[in-house]
Amino acid sequence: MTTNPLAPVLRDDASAAFFDATAEGRLLLRRCTACQHIRGPEVPMCTECLAEDFEWLDAAGTGHVESWIVMHSRAGTDGIVPDPRVIATVELAEGPWMVGALRGVDIHAVAGAMPVRVAFERPEGSEAIPVFRPADAP
Amino acid sequence: MVKRQTNFAIAGLGITPMGRVYGKTTAGFAREAVQLAVADAGLTMADIDGLLINSPGDLNLQLQRGLGLRNTKLLAEYQSFGSSAGGMIQYAGLAVSAGMADAVACVFADAPLREGVSAGVAYGARRPNLKGFSAIGAAAGYAGANPRYAMAARRHMLTYGTTSEQFGAVAVQQRQWATMNPMAQFRDPITLEDHQSSRWIADPLRLLDCCLVSNGGIAVIVTSAERAKSLRQPPVYALGWGQAHPGLVQERGCRFGEVSGAIESGKRAFAMAGLKPADVDVCQIYDCYTYTVIVSLEDYGFCGKGEGGAFVESGALGPGGSLPTNTGGGELSAYYMWGMTPISEAILQARGTAGERQVAKHDVVLASGNGGILDYHATLLLSPNEPT
Repeated sequence: MTTNPLAPVLRDDASAAFFDATAEGRLLLRRCTACQHIRGPEVPMCTECLAEDFEWLDAAGTGHVESWIVMHSRAGTDGIVPDPRVIATVELAEGPWMVGALRGVDIHAVAGAMPVRVAFERPEGSEAIPVFRPADAP
Repeated sequence: MVKRQTNFAIAGLGITPMGRVYGKTTAGFAREAVQLAVADAGLTMADIDGLLINSPGDLNLQLQRGLGLRNTKLLAEYQSFGSSAGGMIQYAGLAVSAGMADAVACVFADAPLREGVSAGVAYGARRPNLKGFSAIGAAAGYAGANPRYAMAARRHMLTYGTTSEQFGAVAVQQRQWATMNPMAQFRDPITLEDHQSSRWIADPLRLLDCCLVSNGGIAVIVTSAERAKSLRQPPVYALGWGQAHPGLVQERGCRFGEVSGAIESGKRAFAMAGLKPADVDVCQIYDCYTYTVIVSLEDYGFCGKGEGGAFVESGALGPGGSLPTNTGGGELSAYYMWGMTPISEAILQARGTAGERQVAKHDVVLASGNGGILDYHATLLLSPNEPT
């Protein structure tokens, strides 16, 4: 059991379809209907051809670490020091980058280009939030 | 090549007391800074006919009335974050060159510090938005500048082999300069060991990799080169300038963390001035983090790409080094006034009035401004010598 749960995330109009999908364990990206370039779920215009029209695409859910940081917390009022939290920038197999928590890995074992796959966590009162785990984790 | 078609100069500089200075609002610091700058230039408030305003806080156009300005031909709030100060001076210079205004005050002020509240808490008081897409990272703690710059710094380390000790070399050398700056908030020397044992803010960035937080204000007066010659201070001329805002997209092939806007901004400024990096005598690099100095120095061409770590480790930046850099201590040790930190020190060095820390040869002084997460960049090349 992690001692550092994610903060609850709420949807807004722009992210409603995305969080409908994460609730089902699916990670959505946007594919440009004009040039087929795949962009992140939050990117309003195609980063290649600037068209706005898109269709949702189910991501494969795999990718690799481009960069990462470790957030160390100080002890809370209960005296417990939360586990350090790894946050990674992941390049998804389709190309877009996504930043999220990297779970299930020792902070000294994270490495550049490390293969990861997406997973989802749903804190109390939250949408399902994409996180990443090492690709070879059980 | 861009040819410079205008000549302007910085004729006044006002720096309020800096740091844990209480009892004054952001607007109060801004007014004091402008008044100091106007007096420094040997002008009166009635001579000021332009005002450009930059702040992360609650500064707005009411500052005009606060200063009693009634003959204002140019007035705007300006925002490109850490590159704002350089940008304001550039636009003020264009305005005076075009005859739109005579003497433009450019001001930055901020007052985030509260008595009894730590700097980190005071500056990070804004709660992250936990709605929508940006909440995915924020839910894990990816919010604000510290984790984002840490992410950029790690990528530089991964690509180029840059080390935490090399980040530390920047902090140590800038503190050496700060010991000679009576206005610096941190003046006690530090060692690499101090840096390495300082606590993590966002690994790979430690406490001594991060800028400090300051209450205060800085203003400069921009006027034409001709007008500046008749004023009280030795003019500081603009030899060349530039901006670059790369607009990187975070997807396959992105160079996030590896590069900054300094590549293009620097090229433009050097081309306009007809100079090259080797001509720079004194360097003032925007240093929100130690890492920012390394990536910016590379991008300006002071060393090869990816060689910034080794370059700073050689001792080049400190007193007696080959490229005296952030000679007042910078944002890491002196005061954090966004882009006005490097610019204020550049003006003092160009004038030759930096006291104990004055660099002997100061014909060409570079000042950079960097904002966002390496998203916005401005460059000024300044000199006490009038450009031909």
